[in-house]
Amino acid sequence: MNLIEMNSICKSYRNIGFETKVLKDVTLHIKEGDYVSIVGPSGAGKSTLMAIMGCLAQPTSGDYILDGEEVGQLNDRKLSRVRNEKIGFVFQAFHLLPGVTALENVTLPLVYAKNPPANVKDRARELLAKVGLEHRLHHTPGQLSGGEQQRVTIARSLINDPRIILADEPTGNLDSKNGIETMKTFDNLVKEGKTIILITHDSEVAQHAGRIISILDGQIASDSQVSHEEQTRPH
Amino acid sequence: MNLFSSLGIAVRALFAHKTRTFLASLGILIGIASVIVMVAIGKGSQQEVMDVIAGMGENLITINAGEMKRRGGRLRLTGNVTTLTVRDADRIADEIGEVESIAPFEEKRMMAKFGNNSAETTIAGSTSDFSVIRDYRLKIGEYFSERDAKTANRVAIIGMTAVKNLFGEEDPLGQVIRVNFIPFKIIGVFEPKGVDTNGLDQDDLVLIPLSTYMRRIVNQKFISRIFVKASSRQNIAKASEKIRELLRENHKLTDDRNDDFTLITQLDMEELKKETTEMFTKLIVGVAGISLLVGGIGILAVMLISVKERTREIGIRRAVGATRRDIVHQFLYESLIIGFLGGGLGVALGVGLTLGLTYWGQWTLILDPNSIWTASWACAGIGVIFGVFPAIKASKLDPMEALTTE
Repeated sequence: MNLIEMNSICKSYRNIGFETKVLKDVTLHIKEGDYVSIVGPSGAGKSTLMAIMGCLAQPTSGDYILDGEEVGQLNDRKLSRVRNEKIGFVFQAFHLLPGVTALENVTLPLVYAKNPPANVKDRARELLAKVGLEHRLHHTPGQLSGGEQQRVTIARSLINDPRIILADEPTGNLDSKNGIETMKTFDNLVKEGKTIILITHDSEVAQHAGRIISILDGQIASDSQVSHEEQTRPH
Repeated sequence: MNLFSSLGIAVRALFAHKTRTFLASLGILIGIASVIVMVAIGKGSQQEVMDVIAGMGENLITINAGEMKRRGGRLRLTGNVTTLTVRDADRIADEIGEVESIAPFEEKRMMAKFGNNSAETTIAGSTSDFSVIRDYRLKIGEYFSERDAKTANRVAIIGMTAVKNLFGEEDPLGQVIRVNFIPFKIIGVFEPKGVDTNGLDQDDLVLIPLSTYMRRIVNQKFISRIFVKASSRQNIAKASEKIRELLRENHKLTDDRNDDFTLITQLDMEELKKETTEMFTKLIVGVAGISLLVGGIGILAVMLISVKERTREIGIRRAVGATRRDIVHQFLYESLIIGFLGGGLGVALGVGLTLGLTYWGQWTLILDPNSIWTASWACAGIGVIFGVFPAIKASKLDPMEALTTE
């Protein structure tokens, strides 16, 4: 069964009378547990595709069925709930709340959860330990390095146990060592059964995935499977 | 998302920007504090005026000769009317049951002399009931007797201001002052009474028997005023109406002619003062409204800046599952808390100032719990009303755009 099913998705922005078509008739199916990279030059529509996939924006036309639910028809409240429960975001710019501790940043999605678990803090501690930050619980983003901030973001994306992790250029702001660490984390998450969608323009990063979709000028240019050997080749 | 966590987020955001939060609430703070102090001043002065009215004499009805008209905000006698007499006073005392006591009265500003000192003062003539009706109490000495009145004796009771002006530090009792070269022996001194409702000094007075006044000072048959004490507060209106009928009959006024006298009761004076107080209250409400509006605009400005500054935060919250409603609540709670904070501090400052001014100052201020209560709710209202627009603006931000804003 397809976890993500996009049929003929179009997205256009209207700006002072001019209509800019960012996505043109994109059809895309992703199965549960897939490890997918979306590549393409900047301005190709990668970020817009991710925004629609992550329910941060609605398509202008076309169907988007996420986990069997027609997302294009949902109101703000239900759409927010989908973001909250089914999707974990990892951003290039981390997007952590400034002046708030790592622990509290990780628990942020549960503030908006409909049925937050009782042991919120324990769960957050566990996840921070999992990304190797058990000694940084009470540090604010300003006191953490870029790599550490990205790991807090990953912990945050996992707190509500989502099915999908959407990562927008996760290694873009990191040095190569931290980048490799981050990618290892994603590789492990796939093994745990998460569906990972990476958006990147770095072909080396893209090679981690089992499937590479290349976007060009708002359309899918190619969609290819990566062989198992390449996926696990050492760095 | 529950109320508690919304409030928590709002409180933390405000706490992170202490200066800005304080400045945002400053307008409300000053507005509320000044309104509380002004209401207290208003209430205080109203109480003072009521005390003065009550101090003029309980259940008092004043009969003035001639028609009284308002000039320059004050009631003044018009024309020279010679129809009011001691006989009128006697008939009122005899025939109207609701009248407890009565004192015909005449006065004139004149020079009084003691030794080398001379001072202008009010020379007043009346009967022994005057002190009871007008609530003048003797500090020392005694009141003049029936005999003094009958024989038109040259005795006087003197008010504190006149004592100060004529005698300075000297003991006035038993001394002799001269008015129009006529000697008067001081047989008593009144306790100080302060100013009346028109701000005139009631202690600048030398009281002599009316008979003495009429024969020796002015040599006339008519008087300008009669003070009447009604038997109870309920009877004031009734007594006043009966006095009017009796005087009209006594003065042989036909139905088509106006009264040649004016009745002013204690109730009339209270009513008059209430009108001015109400004017003052309206003024306070106006000032309060303007200051709260200004305070609200302060909140509006700060909240708009806050939303702009925290665009990215809004994007982050939206991405992890905050609904538009959650964002609206977050910012509304912030402005509500700013409103309450300003209100709370304003009430504290206002009450503090009021108590301080009462304790150390010369003024009578009366705290009005009503104004405090209303002010607090007004602040909360202002916080919400002026917070709605920024909050909705925040919630309408596109999450993706908000995230990419630098």
